[in-house]
Amino acid sequence: LGHGSGGLLTNKLLEVGVFDLLSNPLLDTHHDGAMLNLTGRVAFTTDSYVISPVFFPGGNIGELAINGTVNDLAMCGATPKYLSLSFILEEGLTMAEFWDVLISIKYASERAGIQIVTGDTKVVERGKGDKIFINTSGIGQIHPRANISIKNVRTGDKVIVSGHIATHGMAIMSVREGLEFETTLISDTAPLNHTVLALLDEFGPAIHLLRDPTRGGVATVLNEIARDRNVGATRLGIDLKQAAIPVLDEVAGACELLGLDPLYVANEGVFLAIVAPEVADAFVGKLQTLDYGHSAAIIGEVVAEHPGQVVMTSRIGGRRVVNMLVGEQLPRIC
Amino acid sequence: MTFHLHFTGQVQGVGFRPFVWQLARLMKLQGAVSNGADGVHIYINTDSATAQLFLSRVQAEAPRLARIQSVALSEVAPVYYTDFAIVTSQITGQASLLLTPDLALCEACRAEMADSVDRRFGYAFTTCTHCGPRYSILHQLPYDRQTTTMSAFGMCTDCEREYHDPANRRFYAQTNSCPNCPVELRLFSASGQQLANHQDEIIDYVADALGAGQTVAIKGIGGYLLLCDATNANAITQLRKRKHRPTKPLAVLYPNVATLQQDCYLADDERALLTGSVSPIVLLDQRPNPASKVAVDKLAPGLSQLGVMLPYAPLLALLANKFNKPLVATSGNVSGSPICYTNEQALEQLPAIADLILTHNRAIVVPQDDSVVRLSPAYRQPIVLRRSRGLAPTVVYSPKKKESGAGDEVNTTTVLAFGASLKSTFACQLRGNIYVSQYIGDLESYDTQTSFRATLDHFLKLFDATPDLILADQHEGYFSTQLAHELATIWGIPIQLVQHHEAHLAAVLAENGLTGDEPILGVIWDGTGYGTDGQIWGGEFIAYQNSVFNRVCHFDYFDSLLEDKMPREPRLSALSLAHNIPGADTILRVKFTDKEWHLYSKLPELSNEVVGCLWPMSSPITHASVNGSHAAVWPMRAHATGKNRLKTSSVGRLFDAVTALLGLADQVSYEGEAALLLETHAARYVRAKGYTGVQSYLPDVTTQIPTRAVVEGVVRDIQAGQSTDQIAAAFHYTLVQVVAALAQQTGIRQLAFSGGVFQNALLVDWLRHKLEPAHKLYFHHQLSPNDECISFGQIAHYALTTPL
Ligand SMILES: [Fe+3]
Ligand SMILES: [Mg+2]
Ligand SMILES: [Zn+2]
Ligand SMILES: [Zn+2]
Repeated sequence: LGHGSGGLLTNKLLEVGVFDLLSNPLLDTHHDGAMLNLTGRVAFTTDSYVISPVFFPGGNIGELAINGTVNDLAMCGATPKYLSLSFILEEGLTMAEFWDVLISIKYASERAGIQIVTGDTKVVERGKGDKIFINTSGIGQIHPRANISIKNVRTGDKVIVSGHIATHGMAIMSVREGLEFETTLISDTAPLNHTVLALLDEFGPAIHLLRDPTRGGVATVLNEIARDRNVGATRLGIDLKQAAIPVLDEVAGACELLGLDPLYVANEGVFLAIVAPEVADAFVGKLQTLDYGHSAAIIGEVVAEHPGQVVMTSRIGGRRVVNMLVGEQLPRIC
Repeated sequence: MTFHLHFTGQVQGVGFRPFVWQLARLMKLQGAVSNGADGVHIYINTDSATAQLFLSRVQAEAPRLARIQSVALSEVAPVYYTDFAIVTSQITGQASLLLTPDLALCEACRAEMADSVDRRFGYAFTTCTHCGPRYSILHQLPYDRQTTTMSAFGMCTDCEREYHDPANRRFYAQTNSCPNCPVELRLFSASGQQLANHQDEIIDYVADALGAGQTVAIKGIGGYLLLCDATNANAITQLRKRKHRPTKPLAVLYPNVATLQQDCYLADDERALLTGSVSPIVLLDQRPNPASKVAVDKLAPGLSQLGVMLPYAPLLALLANKFNKPLVATSGNVSGSPICYTNEQALEQLPAIADLILTHNRAIVVPQDDSVVRLSPAYRQPIVLRRSRGLAPTVVYSPKKKESGAGDEVNTTTVLAFGASLKSTFACQLRGNIYVSQYIGDLESYDTQTSFRATLDHFLKLFDATPDLILADQHEGYFSTQLAHELATIWGIPIQLVQHHEAHLAAVLAENGLTGDEPILGVIWDGTGYGTDGQIWGGEFIAYQNSVFNRVCHFDYFDSLLEDKMPREPRLSALSLAHNIPGADTILRVKFTDKEWHLYSKLPELSNEVVGCLWPMSSPITHASVNGSHAAVWPMRAHATGKNRLKTSSVGRLFDAVTALLGLADQVSYEGEAALLLETHAARYVRAKGYTGVQSYLPDVTTQIPTRAVVEGVVRDIQAGQSTDQIAAAFHYTLVQVVAALAQQTGIRQLAFSGGVFQNALLVDWLRHKLEPAHKLYFHHQLSPNDECISFGQIAHYALTTPL
């Protein structure tokens, strides 16, 4: 793109390329907007993706941009249907890199079963971006049995994680410029919608809450839940058991190396579920048979004891408060 | 005429009323004495001269453990008394007295327990007016049997007789009981099965188990203790493993002074501490070949001192005598959690550590650990390392109290201070006194946070106190600061944040009664404290005069690496300070794996952006705080300018760096480990050669202190093949020289020392050796120089900077 990459490509040509690659009937209408048929309850979400480096072990920003929005829809209990896709590209990004991202987008959207129905591309001057920024918005149809709401969370509910935590964040960290260290870790970015929908088929309203612990990790998401439920008549907290939290040895080692706590490290192909205690074991059993759910585990419980707080019992039996991050805002990368 | 005498201070639970009764009878006075929430009240029918005489005799002859703070004598409306009586406690006035701490077993009671014809022979809860639990069993003021957990026990006729017999040592002894109306022991296996029944059987059973290498949890005064055979290396290893406490020194309980002296050197002042009413753990020098074959390498790895104690409670005395060998005695908890003190907690948590659990049915209200004290070898400077059982929560100092008035001039603002984090305490300025809580523990732990709240609630209820103002540390990541904000909002009162090292300085100033008319130079060295520039301070020189604190200079900043990991791993401090010093990389390299080196050796040069990204992903509070880290550091970056790297001036970290470079410790498992190891080596040098033969690594210090130059000197000496002892001593001497240089440059003759670094007895001695008498040196006496003093310091800071 731009100089040094055979840069005759204009925005217009670029868009044509995108359209060709991602071709589908709705996109092919070339209207100013997509016209959709929707009935019933609908979920709608948007997210922007910025990551350094753009290509990382196990994926790239394109795949992340699809999976991320697909997963946000899945966390609402929705079947992802339609997606918008916008790029902001920095001059200097090579055509080859861009096509690699595009191809990943194509496969990721096919894997998730979502249609890209509208999009946009802008190129900005060198220095005005970070290679490539992507925004995706998604629309999904809410599963008829889904009743996902933080209001449904109650004392005794089990906290379940669908897989090993912190893998994505540490894979990214291992290739961060200046920090490179040797690992075989690859990002676990994945579309979780098929897995989640299979669970909704079976457990429906017993699933009280679903969240994907991306930026800020499991600790941040659980703290948000505890904080949101620290008001009103039934104030709730969360207890965690450190020994039950699945972390790959290599991830634990890398975290220790860097003095990081895996609970705060970003995830991609992982979700948290808060479910009624009666179904918890069956839920985990089922999840372990589904894609991306083999390492699922009950990691904690919703309690009344310490409202607003997440408290973790360590392997040696001590209990510590897993704090919400305070102070500086989370950086935009990570 | 009727006169009213009002005594305040530590006048309850020390045999004060019986003493007054006896004196009144002796002087043939009619009247009455009672306890009130605000002290002891006496009414007598007499003339003015006799009343005055009576008052002065009370003051002069009061029981040894009493501390009279104020007296007031006034004539009141006449009341006719027919005799002199101790009357029921009145809940009158606002609670303002000093709480009597728990008192160690007295000699008279000890003798009775050993006397086969005494009715308390071998009784595990023998007490009298001079000894026994006080603060730990107190529900409410005034101190009386009904306001303690002894209220659950009735007295047999013999005990009743003692209780009402003015000639008896147990006249009005609220903790009185005997084998006929006993506090009862219960012994449980780890699986919860009740074993043995009678007290004698239980003691035998436990002694046998200890002999067989088992660990026994036993309910003491402030909470449960874990005991095992201190001469059995396997038993100690097992206890360490179960408690997750790999290297932190373990205290040893000796049956008596004679056996203790065969293992350790004991000076008179140390003996007085151990056998006094406080009876803390005291650090003593080990003898080369301990007679008891105590497993010193397992108890205090790498150290030359041992923490020892004597049986301060009758139950401990029975067991120690029966076992007749030294016992490991450490708090009953999983490392990092607060001490277990209820039977329920013990039976739930301690089976993970102990094979047997020995409980009893006298409840503990206020949990406390054992206090720990040491004396510097040469100058006999007392250094409190942990202030708890026997010392807390007595008052230390009364702020700006005008001597003339009868208590009316005291500062009436009720101020509550929340202290720091790793060594948490709270302090309260209330009705003219300052109370400082016992050491509560590391607030990283949820259970410690709960215990902090509970201890605070109990205190406020005890005194019916409603704070007007809250003080807290400036570190917003501290639980104590967060709780302070929360309570300030709930109570609708203002909150002020006090800079950490200024609080340290204010604490040592107030403890020594310094008001700052003359300039004072504060030398405040610790591991971590939040600085006003957003960096981690810890090597500070702060001048104080007339309410103004002025940071004169500090050790040059160096990079803080990997935050939480740095205090846990002295090798990282070494890397931060020695990186790029010629030849240092060969010393450093072996401390790291290839992978670590590949990564860490880049850290000092890494861009801010990359490193900046690392911090917020980790927990904001350390989860394994050790070695002077008061807690996490990154929240302070919010206030740091831009994306600057986090820097530190910490002398604690400098100790770490030198210790690691000398190969003494690359990683540590408890706070202060590296500094203790370094002190041990330096002390060995000084014992052999005195304070001579070493040179400062900083011959010409100005108001800029080049931290890296110290480390350069150390590296140079290592390369020159100097001995570890010699280098450790030279490092200590360097620190002394830095103080001397700054004193000279500022021209300030009064020096005050605070911060965890001054738990180092050798450093204290060396400073006094070098700087006295040309300078006047002030240290802590009653409080610890570590962060336990911060809560008190916050109040002292407020008192110093706020016009009355
Ligand atoms: Fe400090
Ligand atoms: Mg998202
Ligand atoms: Zn006694
Ligand atoms: Zn009795």
